[in-house]
Amino acid sequence: MTQKIIQIPTLNDTPEDFQQLFEMSNQVNGLFEDVCFDFSHCWFLRSNAVAFLGGLARRIESLGGSVFFDWDTLRSNSVRANLCQNGFAGNFGYNAKAWSGHSIPYREEMEPDMNEIMDYLTFSWIGKWVNVTDRLRDAISGRMWEIYSNAFEHSGTEVGVFTCGQHFWHRNDLILTVVDFGLGIPAKVKAFLSQFVDEARVSKLSGAECMKWAFERGNTTSMGGVARGLGLDLLKEFVRVNQGKLEVYSNAGYAIIDKEGERFDNCPISFQGTVVHITLRCDEKLYRFYDETEELF
Amino acid sequence: MKLSIKEWVGPRCIIKEDGQKIYEVIHGLLKSGQTISLDFNGVSQFASPFFNFAIGQLLNDISEDELRRLLIIENLNESGSLVVDRVIENAAQYHGDKDYQKIVDDILEQQARESD
Repeated sequence: MTQKIIQIPTLNDTPEDFQQLFEMSNQVNGLFEDVCFDFSHCWFLRSNAVAFLGGLARRIESLGGSVFFDWDTLRSNSVRANLCQNGFAGNFGYNAKAWSGHSIPYREEMEPDMNEIMDYLTFSWIGKWVNVTDRLRDAISGRMWEIYSNAFEHSGTEVGVFTCGQHFWHRNDLILTVVDFGLGIPAKVKAFLSQFVDEARVSKLSGAECMKWAFERGNTTSMGGVARGLGLDLLKEFVRVNQGKLEVYSNAGYAIIDKEGERFDNCPISFQGTVVHITLRCDEKLYRFYDETEELF
Repeated sequence: MKLSIKEWVGPRCIIKEDGQKIYEVIHGLLKSGQTISLDFNGVSQFASPFFNFAIGQLLNDISEDELRRLLIIENLNESGSLVVDRVIENAAQYHGDKDYQKIVDDILEQQARESD
């Protein structure tokens, strides 16, 4: 069997960087072969790319292929240090133990172990970097759980959910990226609506329109007589108050919620799955409860 | 009847399975007109799946007024209260029989307008 070599470029977290990740994902779609990831052209790797690459590797393995990260090709010491620190390198064949630093650990969840995930969010993510009261820290972690709940419950992912994050001192931003390789939100919305409406009409819905529908309060693809559809709504409300940014890429759909409002767009490259990329500002003043300041949470 | 949520599900009210557990305990009692108090003392983390199942689905066969009369919620912090309020509001407006045909038609019309 031949080995397919995939070059990992320098990757940040702009929409163009995500498109490069999706292009890489599409290169291995349906392949049952050995894949080697080459770092020769990688001089920076943001945590969103780390979470995505981890998930992509597990997806290839689940398709019957094998994955090899060629650590000898990695020339950037800072990328190497970061991947060692957040535990990614140790997960993929490099002999290094993770340590505590500015990175937030890379994680793979096969099952929705609520306590493990909540501990991670509470103590390794928000609790580690933002100096807030315990109850506010707990409230923020609860909002973040909505991301995992959606990923596990609605995506139908077979290879789990992948997370990585980072704290940036200079900008005082806290980032978390959660990736799954499930059906994707637009695909799920279309499958749901096709139960009630002619499939030919539903298929005309764009990725952007499906995302917009999914982000409206009370809209859900769940059946079974229990009102749902609040997770994304609670999350976007929280991000607005925090003046942060929530971006969701799924199939050909893109959603961004920030201080300017919410926008939905179509991506040039579609991928099967969902990426939730959230940026929070570590400014204590933005997180107070009613009884702590006039600020709303 | 008073139910200590911490004793039943622990300090995190997050997942739907725990919400369903509470629903199964209180649903029949509320239907028979009993007053129930849910005590959230010692519970610190909340998410919507728990409340959708514990409280939201009660509105399938109990009116909102009746629920507010019979169900007393104690020691729930601001973060949890925000989620409960939203869940009750959402469940009260929930209709399983939405006109999806119209919803899709409206979206397609909007889509066509935007692409013009």
